[in-house]
Amino acid sequence: MRAGEVLAALQGRLGERLRNPEVKAETVGYRRPRERECLWAEIAREDLLEAVRTLKELAPLHISIISGADVGDRIELIYHFAVGYGTETGEVMVNLRLTVPKDDPVVPSLCDLIPGAQTTEREKIEFLGVEFQGIPDTRKLFLPDDLAVHPWRKDEPELAGYVRRTVAWEEKGDEGKGEARREG
Amino acid sequence: MREKVKPEEKAEANEIAQACSTCFEVPIGPIHPALKEGIRFTFWIEGERIRKVDIRPGFMHRGIEFMGTKRNLIQVLYLAERICGICSISHPLAIVQAVEQAAGIEVPPRAQYIRVIIGELERIHSHLLWAGVAAHELGFDTLLHYVWKVREPVLDILEDLTGNRINYAIPIYGGVRRDVPPEKYPVLKDALRYYRSLVDDFVNFFLRDPSIEARTRGVGVLTPAEADSLCAVGPTARASGLRKDVRQDWPYFAYPDLEVKAITPEDMGLEVRGDVYDRIVVRLLEVVQSIEIIERCLEEMPDGEITAFPKVAALLAHLKKAEGEGIGRHEAPRGEVIHYIRLQAGEEAPVVWKVKAPTYSNLMPWYPMFRDQEIADIPIVAASIDPCICCMERVQIVRDGRAETMWREELLRLSWDKTRRIVGGLGASHVAREGI
Amino acid sequence: MSGVNALWQAILVLVGGGAVGFLYKGLDRKLAARLQGRIGPPLRQPVLDVIKLLLKENVVPRTAIPWLFRAAPFLAFVAATTALLYLPVGSLRPVLSGYGDLVLLLYLLAVPALAMAMGGFASGSPYAVVGAQREIVMMMSYEFPLAIAAVGIAWRLASLGLSPAFSLATIAANPLWGAVGPLGWMGLLFLFVSLLAVTPAELSKIPFDIPEAETEIAGGLLVEYSGVSLALFYLADVIKTVVIAALVVALFIPYGIAAPLGVAGVGGQVLDLLFFLVKLFGVIFFAVTVVRVAFARLKVDQVARFYLLPTTLLALAGLLLLVLDKVVMGG
Repeated sequence: MRAGEVLAALQGRLGERLRNPEVKAETVGYRRPRERECLWAEIAREDLLEAVRTLKELAPLHISIISGADVGDRIELIYHFAVGYGTETGEVMVNLRLTVPKDDPVVPSLCDLIPGAQTTEREKIEFLGVEFQGIPDTRKLFLPDDLAVHPWRKDEPELAGYVRRTVAWEEKGDEGKGEARREG
Repeated sequence: MREKVKPEEKAEANEIAQACSTCFEVPIGPIHPALKEGIRFTFWIEGERIRKVDIRPGFMHRGIEFMGTKRNLIQVLYLAERICGICSISHPLAIVQAVEQAAGIEVPPRAQYIRVIIGELERIHSHLLWAGVAAHELGFDTLLHYVWKVREPVLDILEDLTGNRINYAIPIYGGVRRDVPPEKYPVLKDALRYYRSLVDDFVNFFLRDPSIEARTRGVGVLTPAEADSLCAVGPTARASGLRKDVRQDWPYFAYPDLEVKAITPEDMGLEVRGDVYDRIVVRLLEVVQSIEIIERCLEEMPDGEITAFPKVAALLAHLKKAEGEGIGRHEAPRGEVIHYIRLQAGEEAPVVWKVKAPTYSNLMPWYPMFRDQEIADIPIVAASIDPCICCMERVQIVRDGRAETMWREELLRLSWDKTRRIVGGLGASHVAREGI
Repeated sequence: MSGVNALWQAILVLVGGGAVGFLYKGLDRKLAARLQGRIGPPLRQPVLDVIKLLLKENVVPRTAIPWLFRAAPFLAFVAATTALLYLPVGSLRPVLSGYGDLVLLLYLLAVPALAMAMGGFASGSPYAVVGAQREIVMMMSYEFPLAIAAVGIAWRLASLGLSPAFSLATIAANPLWGAVGPLGWMGLLFLFVSLLAVTPAELSKIPFDIPEAETEIAGGLLVEYSGVSLALFYLADVIKTVVIAALVVALFIPYGIAAPLGVAGVGGQVLDLLFFLVKLFGVIFFAVTVVRVAFARLKVDQVARFYLLPTTLLALAGLLLLVLDKVVMGG
């Protein structure tokens, strides 16, 4: 699989709705240099499912991770797909970027197409407060059930309190541990 | 959030109770002898059969990504090293790729080969560690003690090359921090020869042992279709017949030169069944593969610089100016590690840092693996994807039958002494001394 | 035998049996460690373990049935020690000889296992319940070959005209190996092997330690036990090890060395006693220690299949051969 083919397929389906596509190629290896490619593009959340469906028809599809960030009044999600595993240098990293407004952070879930995306989507729910439409399980994954804040959001006023508390506890705990070690 | 969660949980429990009136609930974890780390499984059991499982991680979450965005990139590298105690090189190897891509740093070839060598040595020790844990989960402690004993030489080698058994602190953005000088080659080759000679034993002990076969064949099956749709990675995916290996699919470092191929049980002439036995097969074959890779690295390794920035100050200045984003992927012993990083000019800390460890991807495949298994299979199935283990703060040394306990201060002093010795070029080989 | 005399003998056998049990437990742990390439604990470790347990608090979980939970360890301990009194030691007759026979001994051996299962069910922990279920399943599987082996021996003795055939004193005094023909010899060998196969299961040792299975159900039956109760189970296990080994010795290798060497009197008895201890050690080492370092733990269905098919068939074949032997020998 080459990045050009992936791009052509995506553009064939989405046309202009695939914004700022960019193929980044790197040469790796010294004795047998190879080309390794990444595709970066932006899409709207309405087009996400169609894009993923296109990728899935194209080649074996693996979702590595969804990374996310708070960028001011919007939340940015980047879907990192690995398209076409199984052959030497045959994989293309496809990174689809989409942003959603904070007052309506709803994104369609990929769980129907890729059940394995559930873990990373659940993580985004608790860390960024994104909502996934159609995800079968919305419970917390990594954070305590009673934690009310979304740690990666920069507009969480309560978060600072949590961080301060943790640091204070750590410092105190370290002193205590030192004592225990010497006694032990 | 909480209000939303609770009723669903209840509804689910009710659903189970209705579906299977004779089921009872067995919680495994967060603290349980079968688990080396905190995670909670809730099983609904009928007789000895598992009817349903629920998995709840989160007992070990340390907020490392959050911490990373508050520190400068060099500190982040060391933080990344401490994400996992066992694949401690995997996360640094992934993050250096991400940062090098984001900041446009060219890495000297020799450094890339050294990264491969350390990475593969780690794979050997990690797979051996896993083999021991798996044996213990099966109640076969003899094999645990044997495997962990033969795992020591590779740790000695790593200590000899890097100064540490775990947390090697070798990669740095733009290269590696310490060379593998030619005078260390013979020791390394000796160790590889030693492991090669053990391969037959491993095959006999693990693959031809009737009691191990009885416990692992047909247990914890993950079909290729499930492995694909649930995005399994690493040996877990390969044991189900998917030829999925970052070193092959999206090569990095010196791996394109080394022609790495993903390994499945077919390579040993076996039919792929995707059970625990197959996962043992794949890991054993990968130990052999790692030996071959390191041997080839030693032959082909070019001379030259080992880092693009000999001075850390210059590196920091470069990183501070850098702007952009990058992804780094590494095939850790357990599967794909991916780091995404975004740098902003003028900022010392990364703006965004996302880390994915292999177990994260292998969480979902656990569900089909547990389907209709017995209680007795729980430990080995849980261990078969190879989740991680933590470390300790003191050691007890038994020398000539006398036990002496060493505490933290003493260990620290010893470690300083050793660093001075290695830096002074007197790093006499531990392996030669202990005569493997 | 006067009552006082019997009492002294009983105390002697109990204390001696306990001491030997502890010694063999320590040896078992030490040798297993050496076989695994470890250093292992000192020989006195089992004693230290029990002393420590006796000093600890005895916690009864809130979900348990308290009286049953507390009674089970006593029952196990008492049954195991009572069994000790029915065993011939070297060339000495059993202390309670005449008050019960081999069949009673088999029941006494089943009691500790049943008590553990009861305690498991009474502790109200899912792990213990699973462990108790497994214990019961395992007992149902291994009791059959065990019974066949015992009955086979007694029947052949009876057919030789010896009585009371089920008395352990009779069995120990008349080794069968010399009294039967080649067919019977084969049959005895089969019974011996099947009894050795049952030994690790009786003692819940790997590969048959499924009721306790540390990595699966965290100690299973024993998971909720602590302090004195756990110590009693531990003692019961220590003594049961001696009992089983002594039973194997009494049924199949009851030979002494005093008579062939021509030593008589007290010296002969001491010599026989020492030889008896060596035989016990041999049985424990080969049937328990070596087996538990050489195998992985089996699953409950695999254990049941192992005992109900190959072991039972082997024992039945042994019995059949003994019957044929009688027909051939015309005894």
